[in-house]
Amino acid sequence: MGTPPYRIWEILNRSESGRFMEEKEFVSTRVIPELRRVVKKYGVKYDPSSPVNVDDSMADSVWKAAVEAFLSIGVYNKSNHRLIEFTEDEIHEALLGLPGQYLFGAGKDARPFIARKVEDSRPPFMLFSPDITYDEHDHFLACVAFLKEPLLDGLCAPILEHFLGNKINSHSPSELGGSLMHAMNLREAARLVGRPGIHLVAVGTAEADSSQIHVSNDQYGIRTTDSRLVAITTELETNNELLNKGLHYQQYGCYSGNLAGAIYGGYAGGAEGTAVLQTAYHLVGTLLYSSHYEQNFPFHLKYLSNTGREMLWVVSVYSQAVARNTKIPQTSNGFANAGPGTEMLYYETAAHSIASTVSGANLWEMAPARNKYPNRGTPLECRLAAEVGYGAALYGLSRKDANSIVDRLLKKYEKDIPDAPLGKTFREMYELEKAVPRKEAVEQYRNMVRELKDLGVPFPY
Amino acid sequence: MSFVERLVHVVKEGNIEESAKLVKKSLEEGKSAQEILKQVTGALREVGDAFERFDVFLPEMMMAADAMIEVMKVLEPELKDQGAGTIKAPAKVVIASVKGDIHEIGKNIVVTLLTANGYTIFDMGADVDSLEIVKTAQREKADVIGLSALMTTTMPGQKEVIDILKDMGLRGRFKVIIGGSPTSRKWSHDIGADGWARDASEAVRVVEELLKSR
Repeated sequence: MGTPPYRIWEILNRSESGRFMEEKEFVSTRVIPELRRVVKKYGVKYDPSSPVNVDDSMADSVWKAAVEAFLSIGVYNKSNHRLIEFTEDEIHEALLGLPGQYLFGAGKDARPFIARKVEDSRPPFMLFSPDITYDEHDHFLACVAFLKEPLLDGLCAPILEHFLGNKINSHSPSELGGSLMHAMNLREAARLVGRPGIHLVAVGTAEADSSQIHVSNDQYGIRTTDSRLVAITTELETNNELLNKGLHYQQYGCYSGNLAGAIYGGYAGGAEGTAVLQTAYHLVGTLLYSSHYEQNFPFHLKYLSNTGREMLWVVSVYSQAVARNTKIPQTSNGFANAGPGTEMLYYETAAHSIASTVSGANLWEMAPARNKYPNRGTPLECRLAAEVGYGAALYGLSRKDANSIVDRLLKKYEKDIPDAPLGKTFREMYELEKAVPRKEAVEQYRNMVRELKDLGVPFPY
Repeated sequence: MSFVERLVHVVKEGNIEESAKLVKKSLEEGKSAQEILKQVTGALREVGDAFERFDVFLPEMMMAADAMIEVMKVLEPELKDQGAGTIKAPAKVVIASVKGDIHEIGKNIVVTLLTANGYTIFDMGADVDSLEIVKTAQREKADVIGLSALMTTTMPGQKEVIDILKDMGLRGRFKVIIGGSPTSRKWSHDIGADGWARDASEAVRVVEELLKSR
């Protein structure tokens, strides 16, 4: 079942005809003061002793604050300095039409993708994603290594930084070439591991709208059973190129997700404003881009991660706000501080997976090493997130119990966040030619699972 | 509490309107413009330090910097009258997110902190053509060019600006500092930039060092 695009031409026309405003005025008279106002009005308050929110009324306050902020701020089109504004009736109409579930992928590899509820016993959709660039000569085998993972329901692939030996330059022929190579590697890797219809989110190499349009092809590129991302930029801003992408995805007929990361410490201020803004982004995705789901990656301005105590509260409370009040399917994208092959990364991954799963999110895991360093991401941390997600859902983990477990996990790593270890590269963790983890990496993984079980982390087996 | 003490307080709070009023009252109270400037600069530095520790967030830092701009509007003529000469900005920085890159918050934080430290900033915004950056730096007689890139695919835009500076025979005229999440000291070295900063606070220190070495 699909979602009808929401009045796309009425909304897109507003991006041309809306009120003129300079960007600085938008930030200083709308974004900052309105977020502060609604946080105060609805009594949104971060509680450090509760990294997983257990208070339904707090989640609902965040939702109400987000709706009010979205209506009073709107979205800014940087291309022509116009405001795109919405009405409360439009929010009601757009949300009413949501089916709450899709079938992602094709044929035998298709998987249900749903809007989960808080403490839902249905397992999250497991979207594996290292969210980082890989060397060109490792890219295909890295795709194979990820796609071999049995718990994977979909893949947002490793990204290419080079194409035919040259560094990809945004908006140039090298980006179009690299984007096509990215799509072709994914499709071939999926066929090779016997999952030709698996859901792909692609292609991250394509920054330009022209590059995204270039790879839309059912035969060799990104199919209508796959999905694509369209971003909203910091904060509550778009531009014509992003609007072009959103429109293309609708007209091509594929699924799309709104890629949104509210910044903790930025214009939104602290945890409260960040949670409200991240919640409001779900409305941006639904009404502005007609996105089918929200891809959430709120992050800490200084650490570029979302596994710290305040960030896990943000993740849990906005996920609950959305799950309790809408049928918008959401994914929770983990950004860890530590790199692959470190104990800290596994603690962080388990904490993020638990906080997200019990709060109604699907999983999009895991970007290690602050999502900064090429080749530092492996399927192992994604596997751990998926196992923990299954465990939390199947055992019916409550938010209260999740809170205790996450608190124990945080005590293992939160002091190390400022100087988190960089860890290892994909090649150091994997036998590349076989696309399997090295013996010592497997051994470490097993030891970590044992330790996490001792800490109370739920696993399905 | 004296007017100067209250002024320090409202600058920290980012109360723009009150800042301008209090600086006038402080002057009427007989305080010298130089003394007021010293106090307010100290207050702003405290806000900057608090932002680095994350005791306050970007909105508070931005508002304090805006309040400082208002304070300076009132103080500058007084300083001139008192024979202290015009407050001379330490340098002019032309800054942009490079071609193809629509991300601006990192660059905007650098702008805020450099402004708070007294630099004159020409902010070109995001997704700016490389040649346009060079021409603007020439026209504005900039001392420093700051280039931000948040995507691996937009990092070549930083190199392109430096290559154009070389091709136009202008490389020695400007100090070039780069930054952005995927960039590194090695990348900075590889493309021939003069400096690299991992975050906004470091960017202020690097600019200061680069200007000392001129």
